[in-house]
Amino acid sequence: MTALLRVEGVSKLFDRKGKPSVEALRDINLSINEGEFVSIVGASGSGKSTLLRIIDGLLAPTKGEVLVDGQRVTRPGRDRAMVFQQDSLLPWKSVIENVAYGLTLAGRPWAEASAVAQRFVTMTGLAGFESHYPHQLSGGMRQRVNVARALAVDPRILLLDEPFAALDAQTREIMQSELLSIWRESRKTVLLITHQIDEAVFLSDRVIVFSARPGSVRQEVKVDLPRPRELTLKRDPRFVRLVDDIWQLIEAEVRQGLKAG
Amino acid sequence: MKGIIEFLEQETRLASFMRIVFSILCVLVIWQLVATVVTNRLLLVPPADVAVALWKETLDGSMWTNAVATVTAVVTSFIVSVIIGIAIGLGLASSRLLSLMGGPALSALNSVPIIALAPLFVAWLGLGFASKFVLVLLVAVFPVVVTTEAGLRATDKPLIEAARSFNATPWQIFTTVTFPYALPFIVSGIRVSWARALVGIVVAEFFGSFAGFGFAILSASQTFDTARVLGYVFVLGAMGLLGSVAFATLERRLAPWRQE
Ligand SMILES: Nc1ncnc2c1ncn2[C@@H]1O[C@H](COP(=O)(O)OP(=O)(O)OP(=O)(O)O)[C@@H](O)[C@H]1O
Ligand SMILES: [Mg+2]
Repeated sequence: MTALLRVEGVSKLFDRKGKPSVEALRDINLSINEGEFVSIVGASGSGKSTLLRIIDGLLAPTKGEVLVDGQRVTRPGRDRAMVFQQDSLLPWKSVIENVAYGLTLAGRPWAEASAVAQRFVTMTGLAGFESHYPHQLSGGMRQRVNVARALAVDPRILLLDEPFAALDAQTREIMQSELLSIWRESRKTVLLITHQIDEAVFLSDRVIVFSARPGSVRQEVKVDLPRPRELTLKRDPRFVRLVDDIWQLIEAEVRQGLKAG
Repeated sequence: MKGIIEFLEQETRLASFMRIVFSILCVLVIWQLVATVVTNRLLLVPPADVAVALWKETLDGSMWTNAVATVTAVVTSFIVSVIIGIAIGLGLASSRLLSLMGGPALSALNSVPIIALAPLFVAWLGLGFASKFVLVLLVAVFPVVVTTEAGLRATDKPLIEAARSFNATPWQIFTTVTFPYALPFIVSGIRVSWARALVGIVVAEFFGSFAGFGFAILSASQTFDTARVLGYVFVLGAMGLLGSVAFATLERRLAPWRQE
């Protein structure tokens, strides 16, 4: 297997006026294969979102580089799409217009863009809500629109930054299995950030554990659980053990992070 | 009684129309009551007399002459001030340097009571359209400048980032994110600007013109014709109200998500 996405020696310093700069990431090395589902877990402030922004091309690394298919990333590109941690739907556009947004930016005519968008609206279970506006949707539905909007541009790599963080436990579990079936159908390469260790284990082939600030790769954990996975897997002893192992790894980091403020 | 209140609280067009009708009726009733106590007709005339005066003005054609003079002047300069205001606001929002250099000058100008300069403008530009145009422009342009700049700067950063993530060009970011986001702000500026433009036009007409509502009010008050004064004030009030309602509706239309 060839690595589709490579992160090589990426470090990031944020300069702040008059104050010492913040070291968000230190020497990150990652390699993700085509079609792989990889998660990153780590304490708050450990630079996970920063890494995703660098991979997406929104931020330039201070050191190191990101390669997609051997090509160096310098700016956002059609091969990557991101689902943001914060709400980022355009409030004056309807669901279908939001999902089609990336396509219309790429200059695709509306007839074509809306037809493609409609497919992903249906796939994410939003059929019937095409003409609703974001403020008329629940948090879970808004997050589906976000995922559909990213999928609609047909990226090779899907970058998800805590996409389900704002959801209640039940909605979250449902969204997790839906994400899995979308992933199975579309065969995308997925890099997901989450705070929930069980979410990371349930979804991923590999879980990357970040250390607290400055963020660096503490350990990679392979998840050798069979696919397709059902929600009942979460009660499987192997699943529970994996979650527990990762929790042990992360606990020290979280404590340290809390102390550092 | 409770039923009436509930009806008026509704967000329907009929209910908001009825709210306006009710409050105008209230004013008319109070006005009528006060007019029965204050019997000096130089100070106050009852609503019916005002209506009669308005009707006479309409019949002899002076209402029409004045309306043409005022409305053409105020509408042209209002439209021009909106366009210039948006342009300046865009400039200020897009260039840090412009905003740093132009900002203080603009806010200094904004705090000068420009209305007080009306006699000067008349002296410079003569009686007629030009002096009205410039005065209205100067009082009406600022609210649009301020709200345009503020609106463009207020755009949610995550929205811009999402657009960038989808490869949007700076121009696409402007047309699909920043400008639509700023639009309701701009319209609220335009609403304030319309009210200011009406004040501007009346004052300009006080000082220098041969026709227009301001001119008519001034000449009526010089002959102590209170009914005619109030009649024209009433017409101006209606214009103000109309603009305010129209722009408020537009604002709501443009930003329904801000209601909830
Ligand atoms: N634009 C920026 N300027 C300065 N510092 C920044 C900037 N963005 C992030 N940081 C800092 O970098 C560090 C990492 O931030 P980041 O958002 O990547 O963390 P995170 O792991 O995503 O946290 P969370 O789990 O809470 O989302 C934080 O200390 C943050 O304050
Ligand atoms: Mg984050």
